[in-house]
Amino acid sequence: MWDERFEESVRRFLPYLPADEELVADAPLRDFGLDSLATVDLLSVLEDAYEVRFQDEALSLATFETPETLWKTLSRIRAEA
Amino acid sequence: MSTTGTTGGARTGQAMVFPGMAPSKFADVGRFMAVNPFARRLAAAAGRRLGHPLLESMRRDDSDYSTAAQVGFLVNCLALAQWAEQELGVRADLCAGPSFGEKTLAAYCGALEVEDAVWMTAELAALQDEFFATEFQDVVTHSFTRTPREQLDEVLAELTARGEWHEISCYIDDNFFMVSLRERNLDWLLERLRALGGFSLYTMRPPMHSAAFGALRRRAEDEVIGKLEFADPRLPVVADQDGAVLHTGEQVRTMLLDSFVRPMRWTDVVDTLLERGVGTVCMAGPDSLFGRVARTTANFEVLAATPRLALQPRRRGAVA
Repeated sequence: MWDERFEESVRRFLPYLPADEELVADAPLRDFGLDSLATVDLLSVLEDAYEVRFQDEALSLATFETPETLWKTLSRIRAEA
Repeated sequence: MSTTGTTGGARTGQAMVFPGMAPSKFADVGRFMAVNPFARRLAAAAGRRLGHPLLESMRRDDSDYSTAAQVGFLVNCLALAQWAEQELGVRADLCAGPSFGEKTLAAYCGALEVEDAVWMTAELAALQDEFFATEFQDVVTHSFTRTPREQLDEVLAELTARGEWHEISCYIDDNFFMVSLRERNLDWLLERLRALGGFSLYTMRPPMHSAAFGALRRRAEDEVIGKLEFADPRLPVVADQDGAVLHTGEQVRTMLLDSFVRPMRWTDVVDTLLERGVGTVCMAGPDSLFGRVARTTANFEVLAATPRLALQPRRRGAVA
């Protein structure tokens, strides 16, 4: 499960997810308002927050499909850093 | 018309900007078009010019870039500009319209009658479909960000060294571009961009804004734009190819034609708006790009006049 910082970062970019609704692991982020440019902004926020740099296959829209796919990728990058 | 300029160092001018086309489903804009009085009036005019009801056509063909979707996008953007003037008090000193936005702009500034802009949009949509059905079928335009110009130049130099054609079609921000190239090189480009930390967004078929499309420009002039009368705009127009300030109908006509063969440079438009003292930009229409990139948000207050905002109950004159 992800940490609080991740939850806060992702929620900022989901205008259609009510504040009192749980962010579930397989939530389709695009349906909750994460469009292309918001994805790029979220990427920068996560890179700054976790002091990492996404590269290569991590840099695809597929990474941002759900909280689970994004957290897994982020965790892998942090482990490799 | 208010005067563009600065007061005590603050930029006080306003600009109306019409976005490039983004897919918008009928389900998202249908209610706005049925309820908003500006949209209803414009949709009715469009229907009269096209000879069939616009909303019906949009409902029947819900594909992203159908002729009906393009005319609907133009109508909605124009309606939202009129709504923003009435409800948000926007008084534009200048106007601009990157890429597809040029067509909306031509109607807004009075260079074309609305009905003629509708006809032009429908005819150009059909012409482009026909043209790209047989020409340049292997060319795409790919958009990406997080790629500084120096890095992009290195990547493009590699393509050049391999004898592969390419062209920058859109300059969106300092690190945000669209490049046209042969589709066989797309996977290679995606990989190179990712390796440099770039982020790919989408790939457009058919492609756009390339010097290679001279034959399309000629046909657009012969078969569509050349048949229209252009009046001088009622306010200055900023060309999206180079940021030039246009004052005549002939210049607007040339801008529309050059859009086929010259790259779109939003960065130059921003520079001109800054030079002219613009501090507020009203993005009239469903915009997913130009009003949101750093180049825009760092320099202007952005009023996003969207269908969603226009549908919200509000006191007349209230500021967004």
